[in-house]
Amino acid sequence: MSPPSAKPVVALREITKVYRTGRVPVPALQGVSLEIAAGEFVAVMGPSGSGKSTLLNLIGCLDRPTSGTYLLDGADVSRLPDDALAEVRNRRIGFVFQTFNLLPRYTALRNVEMPMVYAGVPRADRRRRALEALAQVGLVPRAHHTPQELSGGEQQRVAIARALVNTPAILLADEPTGNLDSRSGEEILAVFQDLNARGMTIAVVTHDSNVARHARRILHLRDGRLVGDEPVFDPRPARAALA
Amino acid sequence: MDLLESVAVALEALRTHKLRSFLTMLGVIIGVAAVIALVSVGQTARSSVAGEFTSLGPDLLWVLPGKAKEDSPFPTEVARLTLTASDALAIRRGAASVADVAPMLQTSVEVSGGGRRTTTTVIGTWPGLLAVRGLALQAGRFLQEADMTRRRRVAVLGPTLAARLYRVPQQAVGRRLTVNGRAFEVVGVLRAQGSILGVDLDDRAYLPLPTAQQLFNITYVSFLFVKASDVESVPRAARDTQRILLREHGEEDFTVLTQSQLLASLSAILRILTIALSSIAAISLVVGGIGIMNIMLVSVTERTREIGIRKAIGARRLDILTQFLVEAVGLSLVGGILGTAVGLAISWEISLRLLHSAPAPASMFPVVVLAFSFSALVGVIFGVYPAWRAASLHPIEALRYE
Repeated sequence: MSPPSAKPVVALREITKVYRTGRVPVPALQGVSLEIAAGEFVAVMGPSGSGKSTLLNLIGCLDRPTSGTYLLDGADVSRLPDDALAEVRNRRIGFVFQTFNLLPRYTALRNVEMPMVYAGVPRADRRRRALEALAQVGLVPRAHHTPQELSGGEQQRVAIARALVNTPAILLADEPTGNLDSRSGEEILAVFQDLNARGMTIAVVTHDSNVARHARRILHLRDGRLVGDEPVFDPRPARAALA
Repeated sequence: MDLLESVAVALEALRTHKLRSFLTMLGVIIGVAAVIALVSVGQTARSSVAGEFTSLGPDLLWVLPGKAKEDSPFPTEVARLTLTASDALAIRRGAASVADVAPMLQTSVEVSGGGRRTTTTVIGTWPGLLAVRGLALQAGRFLQEADMTRRRRVAVLGPTLAARLYRVPQQAVGRRLTVNGRAFEVVGVLRAQGSILGVDLDDRAYLPLPTAQQLFNITYVSFLFVKASDVESVPRAARDTQRILLREHGEEDFTVLTQSQLLASLSAILRILTIALSSIAAISLVVGGIGIMNIMLVSVTERTREIGIRKAIGARRLDILTQFLVEAVGLSLVGGILGTAVGLAISWEISLRLLHSAPAPASMFPVVVLAFSFSALVGVIFGVYPAWRAASLHPIEALRYE
C-alpha cells in the first residue's frame, strides 16, 4: 500500500469512453474515477468486455477519453493532440503487451533502443542505456538475438526492458503472462515485483486472479464501471514460486 | 528520429524484401535509363552534326529546289525539281559576293569496275566543286572544263569507292568504271572527307555534269553549292543568290540556306526529336512511380502492427511518415542510380556505334542531375500517400491488426 500522502501518478475523474465504430455507440467505460499513487502495484481485473483493456489504453495515452479528465503526474493529458500523446507515451509510459510486440527484424538491443530513437537520445547513450535496461531483466547475454531466437519469457523481458528504458512514470502491462507457460509467467511477475520493490509504479490488466494476487491492490471492473478496489495484504511472492 | 536513423530503418526494410525491392525499382531503372540514353544520344547527334557541318566551311550556301514554308527552313515541295545548270551559271556571273557555284546532280546507282560491282552515289558536277568544297586529290586530276564541253566519260572517285572496286585507291587512276552500262575512265581519286549524318562522303563517283545529265537523261540538278567570296559576305551572297534566282525563275520555287540556318534547323529537328522520345521515356518513370506506390501501400498494410508498436513506444506522425517516405525515395533513388548507370552505358555504346564518337561527359551532367532529381521526386510524389496512410493509423487499431 502506498502512503496516502503520495502524489498520484494517475488520477482519473469520471472517465467515459464510447466507441462509435458501428451504428450503435458502444460505451466501454462509464464514469471511472481512480487514483494510482507512485510506487503502487495495481492489478485491474474483470471479465472480457468489462473495459479493462480500454482503461489501460487510456492510462497509456494510446487513446483519449470521450469525457472526464486524466491527470498523469499532475498534468492533464485527456485532451492532448496525437503527437503530444506520442511524446507522453514515449517519455512517461512503459508498455508491456500480451504478444510482446517486439519489432521482429531487430535484435533485442535495437528493440530496447527504439523508444530512445524516438526520444532523440544520442547514439552512444542509447546503447549504454539499452544495455543497462537489459541488465535489469537479466538479458545482456541475449542482447544480439532477434525475437525469433528468444523464448517467450525472454521476449517479454526484452519488452519490459524496452518499457523501462526511458524511465517512465508508470509501467503498464496488458495480460503480460497470457502467452507464457506458468514458469515463464512467474518469472515475469518476479521481474515486476522486483521493479516495484525498487519504486516503479505498475498497473497490470489480467483476467487471471493468480496473476492479480502478485499485485498489492486489485481493481475490479464490470460493464465499464469500477465495482471493487481492494488492497492485497499478502501479495504472492513470485520468487518463492520459482524456488 | 533523425534522418540517419530513418535511412537505416528504411534500408533494413528494403533489404528484407530484396527481390520485391528490385522489381519495384526496375520501373524506375528502365525509365531513367531510357531518358538518359535518348537525351544523350540526341545531344551527341546534335554536336556531331554541328561539327560535321562546320567542317564543310562557314562560307558555304545551299540552294535547294522548292519553296520552304514559313514555319520551316526546309523546302517542303521536294518533288518540284526546278534548279538547272543555267541557274548556277547565272549566279556565278551575276553575284560579285559569290566566289564560285557548283551544281550537283546526285543519284544512287550501281557501278562496276575492277571486276566488282557496288551501289554508290554518283554526282554530276562542275570542276569548281573542288574549290567550293575544298576537296583535295590523292591521285590523278579532278574534272576539268574540257570534260564538260566534250562530255567526256571520265570519273573522279572518293577513296572509299576506289578502295572497294580497285583495292588500292591510288591504282584506280586509268581503270575502267561502268555506270549505267557506259564505260568511264577513272582520272582521279580524292582524299578522304569523312562522313556527315552517318553518310560516307568518300563513297562517291564524280562525273562531268553534262555527261551525267545525258547518261541519266535528266535536265535539272539536285541542288547547288554556292561559295561566298569570304565569310563576311555570306549574307550578301545569300541575298544576291535569292535575287538572281527570283529573276531567272519568275517565282520563288527554291530555298537558299546558309550554313548557320541549316545547322540551326537541323539542331532544332534533333532537339524536338530528342524531347519527344525522352518524354515517352519519362512516362515509364511515372509508371515506375506507380509501382513504388503500389508496393508501399502493400508494405504499409503488411507492417500495420509494426507501425502500431512504433506508435505505442512514442513514434510521432512525422516519424512514421519520414520512415515510409525515406523508404519510397530510397527505392526510386537507388533505381535512379542504377538507371543512370545503365543509361550512360547504353548511350556510350550507341554513340560509339552510330555516331563514331563518345558522348561528351560535360554534356551528360545536366541530364544525369535531371533524371536523378526526377526519380527522387517520383519517390516523394508516389511515396507520400502510403506514408501518410501509415502515419495516420490509430495506434490501438494498428496494434490489434493481425
